[in-house]
Amino acid sequence: MSAPIIKIDGISKSFGTFKVLDGLSMQVMPREKLALIGPSGSGKTTILRILMTLERIDSGHIQIDGEQLYHMERNGQLLAADERHLARMRQKIGMVFQLFNLFPHKSVIDNVTLAPILTKGMPRAAAEKRAMELLDMVGMADKAKAMPAQLSGGQKQRVAIARALALQPRIMLFDEVTSALDPELVEEVLNVLWRLCSETDMTMLLVTHEMGFAHDFADRVLFFDRGKIVEEGKPDEIFRNPKQERTQGFLKKIIAAGHRV
Amino acid sequence: MTQWSGYFGLILQGALVTIELTLMGSVLALIMAFLAGLGRLSRFFAIRALATAYIEFFRGTSIFVQLFWAYFVLPFIGISLTPLQAGVLALGLNVGAYAAEVVRGAIQSIGREQYEACTALNLGRWQAMRHVILPQALLVMLPTFGNNAIELLKATAVVSLISLTDLTFQAQVVRSQTGNTLVPFTTILIIYFALALIISWGVRSLERRMARGLDGVRV
Repeated sequence: MSAPIIKIDGISKSFGTFKVLDGLSMQVMPREKLALIGPSGSGKTTILRILMTLERIDSGHIQIDGEQLYHMERNGQLLAADERHLARMRQKIGMVFQLFNLFPHKSVIDNVTLAPILTKGMPRAAAEKRAMELLDMVGMADKAKAMPAQLSGGQKQRVAIARALALQPRIMLFDEVTSALDPELVEEVLNVLWRLCSETDMTMLLVTHEMGFAHDFADRVLFFDRGKIVEEGKPDEIFRNPKQERTQGFLKKIIAAGHRV
Repeated sequence: MTQWSGYFGLILQGALVTIELTLMGSVLALIMAFLAGLGRLSRFFAIRALATAYIEFFRGTSIFVQLFWAYFVLPFIGISLTPLQAGVLALGLNVGAYAAEVVRGAIQSIGREQYEACTALNLGRWQAMRHVILPQALLVMLPTFGNNAIELLKATAVVSLISLTDLTFQAQVVRSQTGNTLVPFTTILIIYFALALIISWGVRSLERRMARGLDGVRV
């Protein structure tokens, strides 16, 4: 049994007086595919944002790959992480956003090559070669020269996935990556996630409302409510036979809203 | 009529001085705008304070007085400027203060999601600013920069007060020599207007060029 790649230990986070996360602890093993589900405001997106260092924690500790994320060890003392430490830790993590967040002034291929060239000092030719491989994998190689404004939502999201992959993170965070898409475009993005799931050994955390996909994709499903993990287990256990009342209530509402489980 | 052609030559020479002042003043204004505009967004209090002080001071005092100060008062502390230098300095610093707020506003208008994408891609603060935020913000700044440049063009008329032979100065020379007010002042009115039109056209075509591919869509 190897050590967990993500170890979250008693973290809390408030926005004003609203406590989003309340003493949350959880672990993720290397290569594990995790689905985070739950009602909006339950804290699942906040966890991804905290792991990507887009939000800071109020208390608690996080270890990524055995190293503290928000703390640095200096002479046996734990200090708050500085920007350099955070930058080093971020190399292990990539994130794909609900609204794609592509750079509108850069072509598809420049979106993908920008970070490898700037942060890893990759030569442009090598970065472009790698970008084309990734774009090919997400089925966007023929649009390499296009501008983001010319693409559909599903195409944008596939480019965003290639862009995150270009930095070769060990952990990928997907934050409701199909929620902003028209229904007919959801599948092309989910197909890409499937390929990543089966062809790479990245650890993947997926926040989603696509229950059917979560069921097929995940090794483990976590149901969140009010900043806590209410229930977790294998997809079959959670979706077919939820034990907690709140999980049952949530799934009932989701099914009533027309989502496939 | 022959005498008029000589006077028109004088006015055209003035136009060249006005154009020169406008160009040099704009360059200084642009530099100051980015220095102070970025300064106002700095993490460091001292830099923010310095940028704010500059902006408030130069927006809050008259361009006349600033020009006189640069030309007549600076020599007392050992800095003697030519009329052109004093003119460029006063105009550039004055208009730069207004344009700095344009720079700040444009940068702040870029959505938070762009900054977050930069963080997720591990870009440093300056890398994000240089490659992602500023190129988008520049497009937001351009129309107002055009306004600022036209303001600067019109403000160049004040340099005639420190004996710089710009358009307005030459018109006054012509008026005093010919006794005719209508012709010289109507002529420079038209020239100022034509120059302003050139600036607007230039800025608009630059805008079109930079917006190519964006389709006005923020992703």
